[in-house]
Amino acid sequence: MTGLDLIEVDSPVTGSTGSSLAPGRAQALWRSSQPLASTRRQRRRRIKDRAMTAALAACALIAAVPLVSLLWTTVSHGLARLDPTFFNQSMRGVAGVGGGALHAIWGSVLITLAATALAAPVGLGTALWLVECADRSRSALTSGLARAVRAVVGVTAGIPSIVAGLFVYALIALVAGPGYRSGLAGAIALAVIMTPVVESACEEVLARVPGELREGALALGAPQWRCVTSVILPTARPGVISGVLLGVSRVVGETAPLLLVAGFTDSMNLNLLDGRMASLPVYIYSQWQNKGVQAAAYDARAWTAALVLVALVLALHLTARLSARWATRKEH
Amino acid sequence: MENTQITVACHSQATYQAADPTDTRPTRARRWRGAALALGLAAALSLTACASNERPTSPTDSPGGDSLSGTINAGGSSAQTAAQEAWRAGFQSAHSSVTINYDPIGSGPGREGFAAGAYGLAGSDDAFKLADIASTEFTLCASGSGIVEVPAYISPIVVAYNLPGLSDLNLDAAVIAHIFTGQIKTWDDPAIAALNPGQTLPATAITPVHRSDKSGTTGNFTDYLSQAAPNDWTAGRTETWPQDLGGEAAEKTQGVRQAVSSAAGAVGYIDASQATGLGVAALVVDGTPVAPSAAGATRTVAASQLESGRGSADLVFAINRTPSEPGAYPLIMVSYLVACQQYTDASQAALVKAYLAWAVSASGQEAAAANAGSAALGSDPTLAARVGEAVDSIR
Repeated sequence: MTGLDLIEVDSPVTGSTGSSLAPGRAQALWRSSQPLASTRRQRRRRIKDRAMTAALAACALIAAVPLVSLLWTTVSHGLARLDPTFFNQSMRGVAGVGGGALHAIWGSVLITLAATALAAPVGLGTALWLVECADRSRSALTSGLARAVRAVVGVTAGIPSIVAGLFVYALIALVAGPGYRSGLAGAIALAVIMTPVVESACEEVLARVPGELREGALALGAPQWRCVTSVILPTARPGVISGVLLGVSRVVGETAPLLLVAGFTDSMNLNLLDGRMASLPVYIYSQWQNKGVQAAAYDARAWTAALVLVALVLALHLTARLSARWATRKEH
Repeated sequence: MENTQITVACHSQATYQAADPTDTRPTRARRWRGAALALGLAAALSLTACASNERPTSPTDSPGGDSLSGTINAGGSSAQTAAQEAWRAGFQSAHSSVTINYDPIGSGPGREGFAAGAYGLAGSDDAFKLADIASTEFTLCASGSGIVEVPAYISPIVVAYNLPGLSDLNLDAAVIAHIFTGQIKTWDDPAIAALNPGQTLPATAITPVHRSDKSGTTGNFTDYLSQAAPNDWTAGRTETWPQDLGGEAAEKTQGVRQAVSSAAGAVGYIDASQATGLGVAALVVDGTPVAPSAAGATRTVAASQLESGRGSADLVFAINRTPSEPGAYPLIMVSYLVACQQYTDASQAALVKAYLAWAVSASGQEAAAANAGSAALGSDPTLAARVGEAVDSIR
C-alpha cells in the first residue's frame, strides 16, 4: 500500500501548460488533472484499506468473544466451589450438598496418561515409518501402503469420538461381557482418537528435519537406526512433545467415549484395570444431568469441575506453545 | 496443528545446537522445562491419592456390623437417580468396603442390561411384562429363578409451565390432552379459563414440550391421560411420544426443564423434584384442584391395586389414575427395583439383598424423600410386609 502511494505521489507531472497542439494540450490537461485524481484515488484506497483492516480486526475479535465469554462464565460460576474440599473428597457417601471431584481428577489424569502411553508410541512410530522408511523406499508396494496408511489416519482423525467409544465398547463387550467398564477401556478409546493427532503432528515435524542432517549422519557411517535415534528424534523432539501435548488436550475433555466404556462412580479408583473410573468430563455431565432436590449444589460442582478442566486444557496448550517458543528463542 | 508447524519451522536448527555434545550448559529451554516439570509434579503430588471422605470406618462404626464387601453395578431409570444417590450415600457410609454404581441410562436400557448381565440390579419405571419374564434368560440369575420387583420410588410428575406472573393454574386431564395434541393453542383458551375462574390468562401461544427419548415419565403421563381422559387422549399408554402430535421435543428431564424455562408459554411434564423455579399446575380431579405433593402421591398408591397374576416377590402396581380418595394426586410414577430371586453369585446376592432392604426401609425412603423429593412408600403395613418378604426372598 505505502509503495503504491509513493509511486502515485511522485509520478504526475504538475503545472505543464502552453502547448497549442491539440493532442499535446489534451495530454497536458490530463496531466494537470493528475494530482487531484491521484489524491482522490489515494483517499479511496486508504478508506478501503482502513475498512478492510477494521473488518478483519472485527473478525479476530468475534473469534475471541466465545473464548472470553466461556472463560468468564466458567470462572464466575466455578469459583463458588473452588475450595479444598473439592480437591480432597470424592462423591462417595454424598447426597446433595458437599463432596468433591478428587476421584474424577485422578481418573482424568490416569486415563489420559494411559491413553498417551498407548497413542504416543504408535503415532510417533507411524510417522517415523512414513517419513523415514516409506517415503524413501523405491518399492511401489511400500509407497502404496504409505498412501493407504495416510488415508486411514486422515479418516481416523475425522471419526466422531462417540464412534471411537462404541468401537472400544463393542471390542470389550466381546471379550469381557456387556457390563465391563474400566479406566483402561477408556484409555484405549481415547488413544484411538489421539493417535492420528499425534501422528500427523509428528509427521510434519519429522518431514521438516533438514535433509543435510540425515545426509551428514549417514555420510559419517551411521546406520539408519542410529541416524533416527541420535539425529532425527533429538532434532524433532520439541515438536514431537508439543504434538503429543496437543493430542492430550484434544482428548482430555472427551465425554462420550468415557461415559460408554469407563463409566461413572462416586468412589476413588486408582486401578486402571479393575472397575469403573470417574473422569472430569463425565463428572460434569452426570452432575448436570442428574440433579437432586438441591439442584444448585450439583450445578456448582459441575461448574467447578468445568473450571478445573478448562484450566487443565489451557495449561496443556500453554505448555505446547511455550515449548515451541523456547525452541525458537534458542535460534537467536 | 498451527502450533506444530510453527514449532517445526523454528526448531530444527535450534535443537541441532542443543544436541552439540560439547555444550553441557543447561540451556534456557532445558531449565524452563525442568522448572515446568517440577511444578507439574508438585501439583500432581499435592493431589492426595486418598479422598478424605473415604477413610475406612472401623467395623464398630457401621450399623451393619460389617461383613459386606464388593461392588454392585446397577443401572436404569433416570428418575431414580437422586433417590439412588441418597441410598448409595447411606449404604456406602455404613459399609465402607461396598461400592455401588448406578448408571441413569433409562428404564428400558436398564432392564436390558439387567437381563444381559451388565447390571446386578436395575431401576425401572416400568416393571417387566409377564410375557417377557417368561421368555427372557436373566444372565445373573440362577436357572429357574424368578425375579424380584419391588416399588421403591414414588414420585409425583408435575405439569410445569412458564407463564410469568401466573402462579396458580388448574388443569384437568382433558385440557392437558388437548394442549399436548395441539388442539388448544393459546393460554386464554375458554377451556383453560373455565378451570381457572377469576384468573386473567395471557393470550400467549402454548408450546407443549415432550420427551424425545423413550421414557418412563412419558409412560406414566400418557397412562394418566388415557385413563383419566380416554375420549380426549387416544394414543394410549406409550413410553415413546407419538411423533404425529407435534410439539417441541427435548431430551431427558433436564432437557424438558431447560426448554420450558427458556420459552414463555411453554409447558411440559417432569419429575416433581426438578420443577423448582417453574409454575406447577394443580390437577382438577372430580372438580377439586389437587396440587402435586408427596402425600397426594401416597394416597394414589393406597388407592391402587397390585397387578394380579405375578409371582409373590413381583410386586407391581396397576396405578389407579382416577382415585376417588380426596387429595389423591393421580399423575405419579412408581418406580421399581429389579433383582434376581436367586443369584448364581452368592456374594452378589448378599449385597443386593442388603442394599434393597435399606432402600425400601423407612429410613431409606426418608433419605430418598429428602434428596429426591419423592414420596415414601407409605405406612400401609400389608404393603410393607409384602415388600419386606420379597426382598428377604433373595438368595
